[in-house]
Order: sequence, then C-alpha cells, then structure tokens
Amino acid sequence: MTGTLTEATQETAVLELHKKFLEDAGPAHPALAPLRESAIRRFELLKFPHKKHEMYSFVNTQELAGTAFKLAKPSPIDTDFIQSRIYPQSKNSVLVFVDGFYQESLSDLSGLGSSLTIKPLSAAMADSKIKQYLLDTLEEENDVFAALNSAFLSDGIVLDVAAKSQLEMPLQIIYMSNGATSGPVTSYPRLLVQLGTLAELKVIVNYIGAGDDYFINGVQDFLVGEGAGVTFSQFQCDTPHSWHFSKTRVQLQRDSRFISTNACSGSRLARLHYEMHLKEEGAELELNSASVLVDDDQAHNFVRIHHEAPHCTSRQRFKNVINDRGRSSVDGTVIVNRGAQLTNADQLLNNLMLSDDGRADNKPNLMIFADDVKCTHGVTVGQINEDQMFYLNTRGLSAESARTLLTTSFVESVLQSIPFPDLLEDVNRVLLKKLEADRA
Amino acid sequence: MLDIKDLHAGFEGTEIIKGISLKINKGEIHAIMGPNGSGKSTLAKVLVGHPDYEVTAGQVTFNGKDLLAMDPEQRALEGLFMGFQYPVEIPGVNNAEFLRLSYNAKLVHAGQEEVDPLDFDEILDEKMKLVDMDKKYKDRSLNEGFSGGEKKKNEILQMAVLDPKLAILDETDSGLDIDALKVVAEGINKLINQDKALILITHYQRLLNYIQPDYVHVFSDGKIVKTGDKNLAHELEAQGYDWLTTAKN
Repeated sequence: MTGTLTEATQETAVLELHKKFLEDAGPAHPALAPLRESAIRRFELLKFPHKKHEMYSFVNTQELAGTAFKLAKPSPIDTDFIQSRIYPQSKNSVLVFVDGFYQESLSDLSGLGSSLTIKPLSAAMADSKIKQYLLDTLEEENDVFAALNSAFLSDGIVLDVAAKSQLEMPLQIIYMSNGATSGPVTSYPRLLVQLGTLAELKVIVNYIGAGDDYFINGVQDFLVGEGAGVTFSQFQCDTPHSWHFSKTRVQLQRDSRFISTNACSGSRLARLHYEMHLKEEGAELELNSASVLVDDDQAHNFVRIHHEAPHCTSRQRFKNVINDRGRSSVDGTVIVNRGAQLTNADQLLNNLMLSDDGRADNKPNLMIFADDVKCTHGVTVGQINEDQMFYLNTRGLSAESARTLLTTSFVESVLQSIPFPDLLEDVNRVLLKKLEADRA
Repeated sequence: MLDIKDLHAGFEGTEIIKGISLKINKGEIHAIMGPNGSGKSTLAKVLVGHPDYEVTAGQVTFNGKDLLAMDPEQRALEGLFMGFQYPVEIPGVNNAEFLRLSYNAKLVHAGQEEVDPLDFDEILDEKMKLVDMDKKYKDRSLNEGFSGGEKKKNEILQMAVLDPKLAILDETDSGLDIDALKVVAEGINKLINQDKALILITHYQRLLNYIQPDYVHVFSDGKIVKTGDKNLAHELEAQGYDWLTTAKN
C-alpha cells in the first residue's frame, strides 16, 4: 500500500497496519502484548499532531502522517558496510540494529566482560521493575511517535551494567537503515540501558542510512542508578531522503550523570526528542548539540528537562548552522519542580545563518516552581560577522577559507566535547565537509 | 616600497582622506600623528583594503604593484600587514590554528610547502618569545577574553609570524601600560630591519621613545600638515596639535 492518505484516514491506516502487525507477530513474545496494546490506545488518544500542536510548533508532520508506510522486514544485510562503520576501539563492544532489528551476528560485547548483560526486551519484561517502568512511561507518553514505537515493537534490547563496574571501552550502538526500493518503510528500534549504583558506561550512537525512503522511529531509555555516569555521544547521519524521529529518555538518580553530545546532519525531517528527569539530589545533565543543515535538511530538537530534586545541574548548548533552505528548531523547556531548590540550569541556543532561505526557530523556556534557583537561557541568531571576515582576510586568508574557518569553528566548539576520537573524526568528515564552500 | 599619490578616500560618501601623498622606502620608519578624527586610522584601513572605505581618487603602489586593485588577502600575501587598533575577537577559532593557516597561506603564495602543525608549533614558540607571550594563549580562541595588552601582543605575534615587508601599526600603544609597551616595542624592533618598513600610527609620543622614527608626519583634517624628524614628536608632546592645525587656517 503506497500513496498519500487524507487526514481522516491517517489514524485508521495506522490502526489497520497495527492489526496486521499483531496478526503477523502471532503468539511470539506474549510479554510484549500489554505494551503494544497500551501504546496503540495511547496513539488513538493522542492522534497525529494537528498543525498547531504545541509539541510540533516548528515541525510539519502532515506529509509524514500522510505517507502510507510498510513495516520494515528483516532483509539481507551488507555485512561489509556495517563492519566498515565499527570504530576500532569498539570492535568488541558493538550493538547493531538493522531496520530496527537487533543483529546478534554483527554485535559483539565480549570486550565489556561479564559486568554487562544483554537481554531481549521480551525476556526482560519478566522483571517487574522494567515492566512497570515501561507501562508507566506509556501512560504518560505525550509524544505520539514514541507511542508508535511501543505499539509496533517487534522486540527490543535491554542492557544491564552491574553496580560498580566501570566499562572503559566505549559501547558503539549502530542503528542502520537500509531504506526501501518499493515504497516507504518504517522501523522501530528500541533500547533500554540500566546502570547499577556507581556504574560507568561510555556510549556512541550512530544513526546510519544506506538508502532512502525510510522512517526510523526509535526510542532509547537510560536508567542511571545512584552515583552512576553515562558519557554519551550520538551522531544522527541518516540519508537526506529519510525521516528520523528518535526519543532519548533519561532518568537520573542521586549523584548520577548523563553527559551527552549530539551531532546532527538532519534529513528531510529529523526530530530528536530528549526527555530528561533529574529525579534525585546531585544529578547532573549535560546536553550539547550541533547541527549542520544544507540543501533541504531539517533537524528539530524537542527538549524537556525536569528538575525534580534539589542541587541538580543541567547545561544545554545547541549550535546550528543553516545554509540553503535548511530548517532547524530547538524547542526546549526546563521545568524546575516545587522543592527543587538550588537548581542550576543553563540553556544556550546559537544559530548561524548562511543563506536567506534558511530558517531557525528557537523557543527556550523556563518553568520555575522553586524560589532559590539559578537558571539562565539565551538565544542568538546571526550571520557571518563581517569584521571577523575582514580581520582574517588581512591575515592572508581568502574569503572562502575565512568563511569556512568561521563556520566550522562555530560548530567545533560543541563537537570538541565528543570524547571519542574515531567518532569525532567521522563527524568532522561529514559535517565539516557540508560547510566547505566548494561542496559539490 | 609604498608610494601614495594624492589619495582621496571616504566612508559612506564622506571624504575623510583629502589628498595624501607619501613615499616610504625600505628600511624607513614613519610615524603618523595627529588629533582624533584627522584620518590616521582611515588611511591604515584604506591601505589594507577595508570594504567599508571607498577610494575616490589617487594611486597607491606597493613594490611596483597597484595596491588598490588587490583584495585584502592579496595585500597581506604581498607583504602588507596592519596591526589593528581594536583586534577582533573570534570565539571558537583556535589562536595557534589560525596563525598556522595564516603562515601557510603566505608560504603557498610564495610557492613553498605548507608546514604541519608540529613544525609550526616550534616556529610559533620562537615567535612567542619575541613578545613575551605565555604559551597558554596558543590554545585560546583568537583574542577572546584577552586583556587589552595581550590583544596587542597577539597583533605583534601575527606580525612576527607573517613577517611582512611593510607593517602599519594602528595605535598599537594605546591601552598598554608602560611595561607592556616596552615589551611590544622591543618585539617590533626585533622584527624590522633594512629590508622592511614600518608605519606607526599613534596619538602619543610615548611609543616613539622606544621605536625611533625616521620621519614624523602630522595629520589634520585628512591631510599631512607637517613632516619632520623625531624631534617633531617631542614638540607635539610639549605643545599639542593646535599650533599646527590652526596655523593652516
């Protein structure tokens, strides 16, 4: 089934697809049934966002909701392609998903030892804590696309990092999409990572596309235990003719940390949703992001940071470079709950516009229900500074190289916080290339 | 080396430089003094090719080439340098990386091989000693958060790296305390020789105690109203500019 759907039939089409999905899935993984059911009910309630939906102010999902997708099926895999994307330092600590399906034969966690355990989500549902967490988050899920991920869950992966284990080797997670040749397909990768008390984990996430016409709609949960820490770098590098929606949800317990940097190359429609909960005292969150958008690339960030306890810190830094007809948005709210005293929250959104046709929407927001907090936010939208250009010209740099230096340095200040050299090289190769004046 | 003939130039339709002729030979140091608004800085900006300034008449040749026909970067590559009165801060651009790009642009222009970051690091360390600059400034963003004195030292460091034939230093002494002034002046003295030339634009005579000019020109209302030797600077310090600027009326 391909073609365009009218608004009235969009939800019906999804419900029909879901019915078929359940039939095809049959009796496999009965443990996932309550999740799928709860999620599709949530979908029926939320429906696809209308044009003025407050969570989608800057993201036009009409075309996406109106596209008749098929579900991606496991298909032949270009093993060499995947192997070439595994960073040497993660050779023995890599998880591979292709079109939403976990690929055991391409994954290798031997380098992380016995302190990391991996289970299919269907098996992990036997753990009442995990089951309750997933059902609870669905009850509160207000992102209809994240709800769809659970509704169409074929299975997912749950990783457990044992208490007090410090995993030195970065875990690389590859979400690869093959794309489609006969009509658009959707995939629903799902990952949940739990860290025990004082555990430490380094994570590299790569979204990679090998074809066009796919819609990857992923959800990742990080449950970070007391005193534990996650160092997280993510590179969204889907193909320009794909749709990318992902939700990263983080729960931080006492004195835990989630330090993250995201590099975005955008796509025809990319939306990254971050739902961060600083649940107990002393939690620390860092959310850095750099996007480089050219041609018709779009990258939209939707951020909700919930300060739920005193003495927590959150820092956000977004830098977007927009050329041609590119579009970026950052819709970010920091919510400081009653009682979350001595919260420290910063948010800085910078945009560099290189063309007249680009667009950057910014909506920084603070909702503060405590009276002893330090919260700041700021937005800048600017162009290449002519004084800086002239200064560099007088030092012998040509207009092109001065422009490239100024634009790359703008995003590099965020990208430098990626602590993984292989990933950083990859990101620089792709994103900085997009900034070069002579790109074809 | 530099030959300015009856130069007229302005900004947004207002003429600021109203007919200046000046010849500078290699080995010479020229000081340009004068009250605020007399056109000193405008001359510097016109010579390095600031896009906001328009030349309405006159010619400038630099080592026999038509300077005014060149882009700012070409002028730099040909060996013209300006030390800015207010150096621009460029957050995110690493100082050492910027200096290396600049150094390499010059090498490529001269038909030579570029140097790699490691070799450049050694070159840079040597140059930094000239201006007594702490190595920590290599890893900082270009001029960002630098004190006034460090910014001016960084200008002289750039001069040292680019090794220009003619340097125009626009109020390099302003905002410097006497210790920093001495360091900067010593650095400049080490960088100039019989094959190079220097134009010092200054409001005060103080810098000229440390760098001895061969000629002192006094600007007023876009023209050179008097030219003399270094003693003229002392006279100006003692008597101010009024006796010159009113004398012409």
